Amino acid sequence: MRYASFLLAVILMGSLAGSSAAQAQERYKLSGYIRDASSNILPGASVAVPALAAGATADSTGFYSLLLPAGRHQLLVSFIGYQTQARDLSLTRAQRLSFTMAESSNTLGEVVVEGSGTLEQKLQNPQMSVERLSAKEAKLLPALFGEVDILKTLQLKPGVQNGGEGTSGLFVRGGSSDQNLVLLDDALVYNPSHLFGLFSVFNPDAVQSVDLYKGGFPAQYGGRLSSVVDVKMREGDNQKYVTSGGLGLISSRLTVEGPIVKDKGAFLVSGRRTYFDIFTRQINKLNEGQPDYNPIPDYYFYDFNAKANYKLGERDQVFLSGYHGRDQFGFASQGGFNFNFSWGNTVGAARWNHIFNNRLYLNTTASITRYQYDVTNKLDQFSFNLASDIQDIALRTDLDYTPNDRHALKFGGQLTSHRFGVGRLQAGSSDGRFNFGSDVRYRGLEGGLYASDNYKATDKLQLEYGLRLTGFQSGSNTYGGLEPRGAARYSLTPKTSLKASYALMYQYVHLVTNSGATLPTDIWYPSRRSVKPQRSQQVATGASFLLGGGKYLLTNEVYYKWSQNQVDFKDGAQLFVNPDLDSEFLFGRGWAYGNELYLEKKQGRTTGWIGYTLSWSKRRFLPQRGTSGINDGRVFFPNYDRRHNLTVVVLHQLTERLNLTGSFVYTTGNATTLPAGRFGVQDVFGGDISVAPIYPDRNSFRLAPYHRLDLGLVWKLKPNRWFGESDLTFSVYNAYNRRNPYFVFFDQVRAGGEDTPVTSYRARQVSLFPTIPAVTYNFKF
Amino acid sequence: MKTRLPFFGALLTLAGLSSCNLQKDIEVDLPALPAQLVTECYLENGQLPRVTVTETVPYLADPAPVLPADVTVRLTLANGQVETLRFAPGVDRATRKAYTHVGARRLVARPGDVFGLEVTDSKGRRVTGTATTPASIAIDSLEYKFNGRPVEEREAYVLTNFRDPAGLGDYYRLQIHRDSIGIAPEIDYDVEDRLNDGTNFTLGTSYRFDNNDTLLVTLYHFDRPYYLFRQSVQDASNANGNPFAQPSAIKSTVEGGIGVFTVLSYDRKQVIIR
Repeated sequence: MRYASFLLAVILMGSLAGSSAAQAQERYKLSGYIRDASSNILPGASVAVPALAAGATADSTGFYSLLLPAGRHQLLVSFIGYQTQARDLSLTRAQRLSFTMAESSNTLGEVVVEGSGTLEQKLQNPQMSVERLSAKEAKLLPALFGEVDILKTLQLKPGVQNGGEGTSGLFVRGGSSDQNLVLLDDALVYNPSHLFGLFSVFNPDAVQSVDLYKGGFPAQYGGRLSSVVDVKMREGDNQKYVTSGGLGLISSRLTVEGPIVKDKGAFLVSGRRTYFDIFTRQINKLNEGQPDYNPIPDYYFYDFNAKANYKLGERDQVFLSGYHGRDQFGFASQGGFNFNFSWGNTVGAARWNHIFNNRLYLNTTASITRYQYDVTNKLDQFSFNLASDIQDIALRTDLDYTPNDRHALKFGGQLTSHRFGVGRLQAGSSDGRFNFGSDVRYRGLEGGLYASDNYKATDKLQLEYGLRLTGFQSGSNTYGGLEPRGAARYSLTPKTSLKASYALMYQYVHLVTNSGATLPTDIWYPSRRSVKPQRSQQVATGASFLLGGGKYLLTNEVYYKWSQNQVDFKDGAQLFVNPDLDSEFLFGRGWAYGNELYLEKKQGRTTGWIGYTLSWSKRRFLPQRGTSGINDGRVFFPNYDRRHNLTVVVLHQLTERLNLTGSFVYTTGNATTLPAGRFGVQDVFGGDISVAPIYPDRNSFRLAPYHRLDLGLVWKLKPNRWFGESDLTFSVYNAYNRRNPYFVFFDQVRAGGEDTPVTSYRARQVSLFPTIPAVTYNFKF
Repeated sequence: MKTRLPFFGALLTLAGLSSCNLQKDIEVDLPALPAQLVTECYLENGQLPRVTVTETVPYLADPAPVLPADVTVRLTLANGQVETLRFAPGVDRATRKAYTHVGARRLVARPGDVFGLEVTDSKGRRVTGTATTPASIAIDSLEYKFNGRPVEEREAYVLTNFRDPAGLGDYYRLQIHRDSIGIAPEIDYDVEDRLNDGTNFTLGTSYRFDNNDTLLVTLYHFDRPYYLFRQSVQDASNANGNPFAQPSAIKSTVEGGIGVFTVLSYDRKQVIIR
């Protein structure tokens, strides 16, 4: 601990050391927010002073700051998709100056590929392995069932894999989906998916942008090994009331926003609901009473987002954000069973932004997050209930301090109180003849302190280094660790930069699942007793080249990641309501390495990117805890290991009102386990012999390669006085109807009907989605 | 785990809504696993001991079971006497179960009695196992109740009541056959006493039995190794065709091969629904 405090102090003092010299140069700080006409923040927008080759990029809250010498300057404020503003400024003192930007075209479907500032800014930024995407951009791309999904769009970036056809889970640089830190306005989201991960919980109408960090993690982030998915919700329009929404194939959306007090505060409320259940209930009604009637289960999900912001004064602003979503699944069987299953997240965050002075500002966020699932079975007087939840109450403070134009410090801390409802079971009858249950609960306290410095050492060399000190306590078990972070950028030429980064991460909470996918019944478990924190280190290096007169950015990154205490579970592990869940864990090591090549174009009528990733991900679980480990201790590939991954995304502005988009994905097939042998089991009674499979090494079989072309068209309709702006978005998922493998199983071939003898066995491949056309109507008035 | 199945169904429904014809035959290249001896033996008090010995085969091989002919089966009785079972393939008429080896005398198996099994063949393969006779757990009572539908449509659920002895590690299997035990059971599931050790158990069914149904309710009581074997066979089977399941290894109760060697202990009662 003493050593850690010393290192944190060194970072702070090292940065302050340069401040006295800088102050002698009569430099003043210029800072403020960059927003669009609807008051939405524009992370990634830039303020530049070309004459001085100086500039700054707005952070994830839309805030920018830069130090400039006193005098007259011409500022250029720019952001892709918005009109560049030129402004003269006479700087005689520290000054706050905020900008409102107008869209660069009157088309709703302005073609914008990525919002992380210009390619040149990306070239110069020491932060590597980061992708920023706005909801506006995601809305242009074709989507499954027309449901825009910002997480699925991130899967089109190099180094990011999906967990299977159509799913929104992210597997970043060989990490699993539970190793992603998913934040919504700084509050953690434990299960960011609906319906087996087919849709993410992020309603695109309520989301402003998302930053995905694949490596080189800034010191303010911690708690997960593989990535940070930082989602920011939109702020409401603080000038006028606006209603927007969309009618889609499987869901509809509605958003209302407007000023609380003009120029001082705004609100936004947004909702989304699917309507599978409306159709399936009608089908059930029609079929009721038929012989062999088997009702289709009832299923729907909904999301509700709300956000409000209010300026308390020149120096203070508060933000309130909330999310509540549920999946509801249920059916009443012919046998009298009533089955209900609901799951979802509830998230709330309150942030206070305070500007002490032009060099120092603070963000303090209090948040609460809860994920729960609840299964209820009822029959007559008998009931059975199984539930699990995790709830966090967190407080974090982040300070940004810019002592001079060479250093930009960030420091702060976070404290989270976890409550793990690992499993609650209650079964009984209303007449009291039997009643039993179990409730396994734990508590945990997680803390983190960090400091980092973005240091512009020379015009060519920029460093970002930091340290995070973390700790976790649950019961009598305490764990802690130091997490050094570092990144560097060296400009070889004005159009070429070299970058490198290193990050060490700890993860103190673990997902309890023995499936390869994120399921609603997944349980979170604290580090305690024999379950030690997961640990991972990653080094990455890369080179970026600005080509074609600044139109293209070619980036190549190589990474190597090694991890300890990776978790898996024993065969047949009892994961539900087990007071001794510790004993079901297995621990192993992981390695992931690869090369990511990325070419992007952001401006012009045709934009897009091409990404290619060559990667390996491996795991090894040696014999332990009375088991032979996994694969008898031999190395295996997790099912999301993909050797090759190619993505091509093209957006073309055909006319002012028509945009064509397309995306193509090619990926090595999933690693999976197929039974190699079998034997028959007669059981106590003979008759039908059941077939028991014998599995070889885990994930030793590769499914056929996955490839798919999606096409989209955004047609902006002419505005009219009743409906205002509107568009029709057409998409075709899997345009050439590729039967991509979802899974493979072995089947018996019989001579005739079910009662005839088995004549042979065959392997069957199941695909999930054929060509799926969809149309969505979006409106705004 | 069972909660996943309705979800999987929903997923396929979703797929079904969008199209059909989403399955096709494919060629797969599977690794060759060495053939292992598979032994299946359920001893029962008062019955002739019968053992089925087969071999594991490649999954896509011919469906006919492979019966190794040069196998010797020795059964060690509770009194230490070793009996070599005769190779005489046949089918038990009562249970319709095929067997390869059969004993000469009916067994005496009292609770706590320990039996041993050794299976060897000319290729040097050797499978061994031991099994202990579990205590008999009696069905205390059977109940049924009709739902509120019109008399001609009404259906009943059945409750099976028994008491679990104190001490963890008891496993049960409930089977309900309609009319005869020679056909597939209507109800067949396992429970354990992990959460309600030493208490009264009530195992139920849904509303599924008709007026005048004659039901044979069987409650098996067994030990952890046999329970784990049953679970692992079920898990392994479920993983074939479920993309969310993790394939699991078979947890045999024997060593040196695959299979189960156990002593059955059960209570059976009859009830007529009326």
